[in-house]
Amino acid sequence: MGLTHNPGLDWTFWKRRGKREMLLLFPALPLSLAYFIFQELKDKGEFSLPPGVKLPLEWRGGQQAAAPLPFSPLEPSQVRRQISGRILFLEEVQKALMESRAVGAPLEDVLHWLYLQGEIDFRPGVGYDSQGRPICYRCGQNSSIVLGECGACGFVCPSCESCLSLGPSRGCRPLYIFPALEGLTPREEELCLPQLNFALTPAQEDAYGEAKEFVSQGKEGECLLWAACGAGKTEVAYGAIAEALKQGKKVLYACPRREVVKEMEGRMASAWPGLKVVALYGGSPQKFREGDLILATAHQALRFYQKFHLVVLDEADAFPLSADPMLHYALRRARKPGGQILWLTATPSEEMRHMVRRNSLKVIYLPARPHGHPLPVPEFIIPFWGGRLGEGSIPSAVLRCLKEAELAGAQVMIFVPSVAQVSCMERWFLAQIPSGFWGNPWVRGCHAGHPDREEVIGAFRERRFFALITTTLLERGVTIPHVYILVLFAHEEKIFDTNTLVQIAGRAGRHRDYPQGKVWFYGYKVTPSMAEAQGQIREFNRLARQRGYLK
Amino acid sequence: MKGIFSWLFPSPPSCPFCGRSRGNFFCCDCCWEELSSWRRDLHPCSLCGRLLPLGEGKLCPFCEKAPPPFIARAAGPYRGLLKELIWEFKYRGRRSLAFPLSQLLGQVLFRDLKGYRPDLLVPVPLSSQRLKVRSFNQAELLASSLALSLGLPVEPLLLRVKDTPPLVDLSPRTRKQLVQGAFRVEGKRRLEGRKILLIDDVFTTGATVGACAEALLLSGAAEVIVLTLATGIINSPPSFL
Repeated sequence: MGLTHNPGLDWTFWKRRGKREMLLLFPALPLSLAYFIFQELKDKGEFSLPPGVKLPLEWRGGQQAAAPLPFSPLEPSQVRRQISGRILFLEEVQKALMESRAVGAPLEDVLHWLYLQGEIDFRPGVGYDSQGRPICYRCGQNSSIVLGECGACGFVCPSCESCLSLGPSRGCRPLYIFPALEGLTPREEELCLPQLNFALTPAQEDAYGEAKEFVSQGKEGECLLWAACGAGKTEVAYGAIAEALKQGKKVLYACPRREVVKEMEGRMASAWPGLKVVALYGGSPQKFREGDLILATAHQALRFYQKFHLVVLDEADAFPLSADPMLHYALRRARKPGGQILWLTATPSEEMRHMVRRNSLKVIYLPARPHGHPLPVPEFIIPFWGGRLGEGSIPSAVLRCLKEAELAGAQVMIFVPSVAQVSCMERWFLAQIPSGFWGNPWVRGCHAGHPDREEVIGAFRERRFFALITTTLLERGVTIPHVYILVLFAHEEKIFDTNTLVQIAGRAGRHRDYPQGKVWFYGYKVTPSMAEAQGQIREFNRLARQRGYLK
Repeated sequence: MKGIFSWLFPSPPSCPFCGRSRGNFFCCDCCWEELSSWRRDLHPCSLCGRLLPLGEGKLCPFCEKAPPPFIARAAGPYRGLLKELIWEFKYRGRRSLAFPLSQLLGQVLFRDLKGYRPDLLVPVPLSSQRLKVRSFNQAELLASSLALSLGLPVEPLLLRVKDTPPLVDLSPRTRKQLVQGAFRVEGKRRLEGRKILLIDDVFTTGATVGACAEALLLSGAAEVIVLTLATGIINSPPSFL
């Protein structure tokens, strides 16, 4: 039993295998509906159409006209060898073959022949689950499916809007699944050892060893590498990657954004000069290349199918990964059955923290920064009386923070919860202290929609002014050597949750020349998030001290 | 637990364009401000609807030279957020934008065309080849959504009898030559005395809607008003005039 776009081809196939009759279900159906019926017949031996669908279906049998093979008998196996561990639409298969310079026409028939041989599988881009509810088979989501008349197939056809950025996924577009072909061929150990131009710190060495063990033992499916901000978690992940590469395993290093992938490509290529490192992202020149180590955005992982023995996910909590179940689905599907996932983050989700507390998720801690100084612990400033921000004079506690930073020769990053408060606070500070600190103006604001965002951040990096007011936009990714942190309205828990506060606090004290930064949380009350963030940082310092990582 | 909570306290409706929460209007204040801010500096040409700087005459240089056989209006200039939305809808295939974008057309109908009430909505057709690739006709989706809101009939009366290449980046003269005779009304249907609202996504030179309007008027339509999502801005008379 199967699906076909060309019954003649099926008949040719089955006739060669001695079959005498083939039954066809009429009329021809859109792929999504045909796949639903096929699944129902396969699982239950009978089917009822999804709600609202009425079709006069009948089985017609007898001899079919066998179609001559429109391709050379070697072509299917050539195509199969080119693509492995992928889930692709027809146009993507075409592109993948073009990249590897294989000839592949008429491709749909060649792929169908492979399907008949049981080497690949296919299904509609969007189909129906066993309850008759539409679901996208590319991204696994069912929340943004739109039903509408389709000009391509002429039926009412479901299409998915969750994964549109990778091209349309519709009920009438076949999605081909190419199971992975590669076996395990161990590589030379020397080739797989990462070449670093610096020595690992004791904390990194320990974590590196644990990560290596996670892969070599292969007992756990998932592991969290929980590192302090700026502790060098990527280098620690090299331990796991090196071990996997040594065993001949396929490795995917996934990042949330393409800028990170581009940056990591250079770092990984210099760490493993003897191996082929391939980076895939929106706009990358090639999207279907094979390599020993694949770097990709989480979106690109949607095109892989059970290919990798090890998936390393960098900044697992960062946007868009944090908010998108589709990307987590993609990463889990890209992993082979029995494969492993290593999550790298400084701020794991609540769910992950819970799993760590219950010992149901293996965790590797990296609690100290390479300079060996403790992480700056946030101090809470809760005004007892007055202390209102944005009106009247600047509260003395805030002024004291600014003066302390000035005395230490540091700059200050001031975090506020909303875009509107950036300009509001900027005006207020300048009105109260027109030229109190160095730089003219001494304070400037910056947020995601700011027209001169890059210019303002650049000027702050060059120490052309004293204080930068910003939103959570700069909670990660920006490193200023000598900076103190002041979070205003820290009680706004919807914005300043535990992870955000830990990331913000992690901006201070990163540089080896200025390892002792200061962090202040200014709010009208101590929220659970503030307390938890402070607790997490203290716990990391305690762990680092206990293990002897601190100077 | 989460399910019960969200059932008891459903989250407020979100803006279809940016995802932020909105009030009772079909989009949020920020998006509406961005989509309607052009009215502070520009006004539409009385005939073709292309946008002119405020203070300039009622007609654009094109219409002064050769008035078109229709009146056209658009929801705004082809730039910024509107351009992004049209791109997302038309080329990326985000069909769910059809309804909110049709609401923009509805706003134009009430605001700029003083609540004009046509007899029939007609979408500009797509060539069968392009329909197969794109899988939907964006003008048809817009017309259907708008017709649903207005309680008016929509009929895909026009047929594209000549396939034309994409008109993007072509000169006005070439566009006009390419689309001449490209459309005709289905069958031998007469549209005696009927007021037609022709729907398209973007008005660039007016060549496509001009050819459609001619076909409709030849079939007896009393008048054709064109409504599009976006149109061009005329800053100064072009050199080829």
